[in-house]
Amino acid sequence: MQEVRAGAMAKLAVLFERHHRALFGYFMSMTRKQETAEDLVQDVFVRILRYRSSYDADRPFRTWMYQIARNANLDHARKNRGEVVGIEEFGDRRPEPVSAARGPEEASIRGQDIRLLQRALDRLPADKREILVLSRFQGMKNEELAQVLDCEIGAVKVRIYRAMKALEEIYLALVGEKAS
Amino acid sequence: MTCDEVKARLVDCWNQSLDERDALAVEGHLTACPTCSAEAERLGALWLELSVIPSEEPRPALRGRFYEALNAYQNAYRDGMESARRRNWRTRVLALWPRQPAWQMALSLALLLVGVSVGYAVRSDGPRGANSEIAQLRGEMDGMRQVVALSLLQQQSAGERLRGVSWANRVESSDMEVLSALLDSVNHDPNVNVQLAAVDALHAFGSSPVTRTAVVQAISTHQAPLVEIALIDLAVDLKDKEAVPQLRTLLQDSSADADVRERAKWALEKFQ
Repeated sequence: MQEVRAGAMAKLAVLFERHHRALFGYFMSMTRKQETAEDLVQDVFVRILRYRSSYDADRPFRTWMYQIARNANLDHARKNRGEVVGIEEFGDRRPEPVSAARGPEEASIRGQDIRLLQRALDRLPADKREILVLSRFQGMKNEELAQVLDCEIGAVKVRIYRAMKALEEIYLALVGEKAS
Repeated sequence: MTCDEVKARLVDCWNQSLDERDALAVEGHLTACPTCSAEAERLGALWLELSVIPSEEPRPALRGRFYEALNAYQNAYRDGMESARRRNWRTRVLALWPRQPAWQMALSLALLLVGVSVGYAVRSDGPRGANSEIAQLRGEMDGMRQVVALSLLQQQSAGERLRGVSWANRVESSDMEVLSALLDSVNHDPNVNVQLAAVDALHAFGSSPVTRTAVVQAISTHQAPLVEIALIDLAVDLKDKEAVPQLRTLLQDSSADADVRERAKWALEKFQ
């Protein structure tokens, strides 16, 4: 990133190749739309170029990038308030879950469980879903998350715990719905 | 350790980042507190289960769009650096201007005399002051056209976006921002009519290498046969021989639309 800041903009391609998939996963979880998620990934890299002079070389690039990503996501959400996407539709668009179970019957049950878990994750409020996505799927450490979310490490832990509790609640409700 | 303290440390347990002392304290509490123990087990299992959710992949077109935007940005940056260099040169010339008022006046008079003499010598017919004002006005009009074109291209209505493409025809062919917006419309606008209009508008930007590269890329990636044919025609009009490999691939692709393949064959004959 330091080279990009110094004017070697072609080096942004290296950062794009390294991070665009993870960013796409983040935006997919937050927006539930493939096209919007791709637009937002593109938007983040344009913003990186535009604000490259504000990059602080003493801080990790990923933290800075996700701060930009969060802003891009907030701007998008503000512009598109009122736009509602069917959660079921979104859940169905995800790839088939890979099951670790052995027999075909067991694999099918496991696959259904995972699909319910996906649906529960999609139904979480945005702030809770965001912290779980960053922590669990993007593999961010609590220290890194505290910088991205601009809060104390203790607050990060509490928020992850609460998000997990909320996820469990929604998941169990979905399991109950399915059983009844 | 209290129940609340243990809950805050469960996250560290899941991340396997709990230090040995805390791990012992948490374990001790969980042995003694069945409520916390059950919750830790349930949430821990859920945390593990989350890892099985498959990750999603962006479409390959995202990469193409990124490189288009990067090219456009780099060219605009180079243009900006060039004009900054020109500004530096002007600054150096201005530094030669004397600081003493008497010398300033003398130099002004000398320059005035030189100007008047040169004016008489050249005996220009046209009003030069008026020319510079016209140039300035033209620049301002270009800026306005760019703003109108870019904002219309971002509208929800296809009709408005078509108007944006029409405005894009009126801006300077070196305007990278408009070019980038047009390329985006060609590749990603949901309406085929807007895509076709944007391909037509690209004719004016044909001298830019960004346009040529993007057209070649779009020929091989575009999904709409009508737009593909328009892109092939554009490549022929621009005499862009870099499109030849893509056209050959298209010609050999049995899954491609028959009309598109026919047009690719025609284009290859044109390039021979």
